[in-house]
Amino acid sequence: MPKFVRHAGWILAMLLCAAARAAAPDEYQVEAVFLLHFTQFVEWPPSVLPDTSSPFVIGVLGQDLFGNALEDAVRGESVNGHPLVVRRFAKGTDLTPCQILFIDRSAVHDVDRILGPLAHTGTLTVSNFEVPAPADVIIRFLNEDRRIRLRINVDYARNAGLTISSKLLRPSQVVGTIPVG
Amino acid sequence: MRQHLPTVRRQLTQMVLLTSGAVLLLTVVSLFAYDFVTFRHTSVLQLQTLGRAIAANSTAAIAFDNPDDAQTVLAAFQVDPHITHAALYRLDGVSFAMYPSNAAAKEFPQQLKPGPAVFRFEPGHLIGILPVMEGKRRMGTLYVQSDQRAIYDRMRLYAGIVTLVAAAAGLLAYSLSRRLQKRITRPILNLAEMATAISTRHDYSVRASKADAFELDQLTDAFNHMLEAIQSSESRLHTQLGHLSLLQHITRAIGDRQDLISIVHVVVTTLEKSMPVQFACAARYDAASRLLTVTKLGAESEAFAESLGLHPETTIGLDENGLSAVVQGQLIHEPDAKQVALPLLQKLAACGLDSVVIAPLVAEKTFFGVLIAARSGVGTFSSPDCEFLKQLSEHVALAARQAELNSALQMAYDDLRRTQQTTMQQERLRALGQIASGIAHDINNAISPVALYTESLLEREPNLSDRARSYLTTIQRAIEDVAETVSRMREFYREREPQLSLSLVDLNVTVEQALRLTQARWSDLPQQKGVMIEVRTELASEPAEVMAAEGELRGALTNLIFNAVDAMPEGGVLTIRTRRVEQSLPDGNPNICIDVSDTGVGMDEATQRQCLEPFFTTKGERGSGLGLAMVYGMVKRHSAELQVESSVGKGSTFRLMFAAARALTPQLAAGPVVGDTGPLRILLVDDDPLLISSLQEVLGADGHDVICANGGQAGIDTFVGQTQAGQSFSVVITDLGMPYVDGRRVAAAVKAASPQTPVIMLTGWGQRLVAEGDVPPHVDCVLNKPPRLLDLRSALAELTGVASAPRAVAGAKR
Repeated sequence: MPKFVRHAGWILAMLLCAAARAAAPDEYQVEAVFLLHFTQFVEWPPSVLPDTSSPFVIGVLGQDLFGNALEDAVRGESVNGHPLVVRRFAKGTDLTPCQILFIDRSAVHDVDRILGPLAHTGTLTVSNFEVPAPADVIIRFLNEDRRIRLRINVDYARNAGLTISSKLLRPSQVVGTIPVG
Repeated sequence: MRQHLPTVRRQLTQMVLLTSGAVLLLTVVSLFAYDFVTFRHTSVLQLQTLGRAIAANSTAAIAFDNPDDAQTVLAAFQVDPHITHAALYRLDGVSFAMYPSNAAAKEFPQQLKPGPAVFRFEPGHLIGILPVMEGKRRMGTLYVQSDQRAIYDRMRLYAGIVTLVAAAAGLLAYSLSRRLQKRITRPILNLAEMATAISTRHDYSVRASKADAFELDQLTDAFNHMLEAIQSSESRLHTQLGHLSLLQHITRAIGDRQDLISIVHVVVTTLEKSMPVQFACAARYDAASRLLTVTKLGAESEAFAESLGLHPETTIGLDENGLSAVVQGQLIHEPDAKQVALPLLQKLAACGLDSVVIAPLVAEKTFFGVLIAARSGVGTFSSPDCEFLKQLSEHVALAARQAELNSALQMAYDDLRRTQQTTMQQERLRALGQIASGIAHDINNAISPVALYTESLLEREPNLSDRARSYLTTIQRAIEDVAETVSRMREFYREREPQLSLSLVDLNVTVEQALRLTQARWSDLPQQKGVMIEVRTELASEPAEVMAAEGELRGALTNLIFNAVDAMPEGGVLTIRTRRVEQSLPDGNPNICIDVSDTGVGMDEATQRQCLEPFFTTKGERGSGLGLAMVYGMVKRHSAELQVESSVGKGSTFRLMFAAARALTPQLAAGPVVGDTGPLRILLVDDDPLLISSLQEVLGADGHDVICANGGQAGIDTFVGQTQAGQSFSVVITDLGMPYVDGRRVAAAVKAASPQTPVIMLTGWGQRLVAEGDVPPHVDCVLNKPPRLLDLRSALAELTGVASAPRAVAGAKR
């Protein structure tokens, strides 16, 4: 196959892809917005961001399928004065501290390793796949009937020192025990 | 009062109810308005609050694209049933969730772009648009729509409450006003009832009782005051009505009376009885003596007459009784006579008559008397009493004046009637006179030949027997009397005094003549009726000579004889007496009297007073009423006197008194001037053949040449013809009254043809012409018919210049 044909095929795929994105927000686009929205409904412990100048980091582990969607979503946004930044980690070892960590299903193999150390670091872990037990992320995107739903493990969130707004809990599927009183 | 007019009570109730209703309405309206505004505000606030809560709860649903959850959240709007629609919109304006879930999309805005919070009222709803925020981040927009039923429900509820409250308040206000208004209306109604009662009963002595409020008190006072005023003016009115009725009564009574005495009698009697007064009297005033003379005392006042010394005809001095003011027309009112030191008032006071009013009687500014009224007790004449007496005195004065005028009018009327009768008589006489004049003319013409022939016979026939001469003399006298009588007929219509032609007359002879002339009346006619009248003559022995017009004198005697005969219808004695009466004065001329007495019915005093007036007669249609008047006229013309003595049933005597004649040779008693004229050529013009022939014969006997012409035209023709033929006439004698061409024209023609030819006019009207100065032009002399030869001769002599006799008007001679 001649080289230009391959290029042409790639460009076509890209165009198609772009066309597909423009026509309807795909799963990742929605999830990008959801990630941003989590900053509104989740309260981080103050120790996580002691310095006002330090950025609020949304990290993406695994294959980055967001494209520019995440950047678009966080552009100009800030959380309590902390500028929002997106960092991408190809593998678990690359991880640096972040306040929200999206773990793509492509990093499913690293999950065991990663989640353990992150459990008490005040990191809101989010994934779009089911993490093999007993490990779990705090929030998992559930793709139901072409609609993204949330599953929240409040025990894990509590362990992480995060306070999740009841507003967020109400439309979500909650796992764990919500303390009464 | 008209029945449909609202009562005070009802009006007050209406006022109170209207006032409270208005207050209530205002309150309710303001409450409503306040509540409306407040409620809208509240509605907005509620919507806002609810909206914000829902919006806050729906952030996650929007953020995480969970319409179900959003739906659930929106379902919370169920808590407010008035929220009919709600919807959530995403930031891109797209509808996200709707409430109610089954609502149609068209009931919501298609798109809602993010914007500020807005609440607006649209017809029937309130719309709220709220941003959905999470923290500072906008998540979307909430649209809420609430219906306004809440407001309406609330309004309805309010209206119910207000109606109830208003009804209760109205009832309360009504019952309160009913209770409270009585305090105001009761006194007013009392006054109104009293006023109605008063107007029905006319009892103004009641008084209203006082109320509790100041103004009502004032009203009551004013009402009572008004009642007092009405009561007093009603009593005044009553008095005045009484006076008026009394005045009318008196006025009517005195209106029927025509003399002052009976007028004042009515007045004083009525005053005593009806006013009433104890003393009433009227007095008339004499300006010359300044005295009042009591005319009339009232019947009851007579009791005081003795002690007052006031009787009819008693005089009261004006000045000493201080009554001078009353002369000026002022009423004198003395409430306490005791206090006034004037005799009249003191006397009245002594009789217990303390109050005195003296009212003047003044007619046409002339004071002519007073009315005096007195009462016992001090000050018992009120001012209306005085006013009444003043008015009464004016009425009395007017009535008195009226009576006076009435009597004057009656007199004037009587005079007028008499004058009218006189005038009618005179008119009749004038007509009679004209007839008499014509008759006189004819008689004069007729007797002219007799007179001429008799005179001629007596003169020219010396051989007549004594008997014939006596007869002829009587005929001549009779002719003269006829002529005289005829001439006196003129007196009927002549207005001025006839010229007297006096001559010496022996009354004895005249009496004889008169008796002879009237013999038929006193002798023959009564005898035919079987009545006997004896005539006695007692004549003076010596001649009773006076200067008189014999004919008139004879006429007067004749009249007196006729009257005497008429006065004795049953017969009696007629006496005629002449005598000489010497005057007592030294140079007094003796008088000659003729008495004509009868023993007839006589005359009463009234008849004696009137018997000399013209047209007065007691003989009815038989008498002219002129007989005695003519006698009286004759007497006056002769400067004689007429005396009448008479008593009813005994007879009357008429006495004529003449001055006796002084000169026995009267100037006109000279003998006739017999003209020796020589033969004259005379033209005689007349239409009476008898006269022509007699004159021709008599003048021919005198030697004259008499040419006759029958009628005026013939006379003129003859005169002109013969004069032109050279046969001139010495004189022309012409009659005055001839058919076609009368004597005047003959005379004019003669003078035209021959101015120097004298013209003698013979006329049956002669004396009248001369007496009236109506001698026609061109006539030199006027002679009466029947012509007397002597007169004719002297006229001819005079006119033809032969005799030297003065130019005289023979017609005035005898």
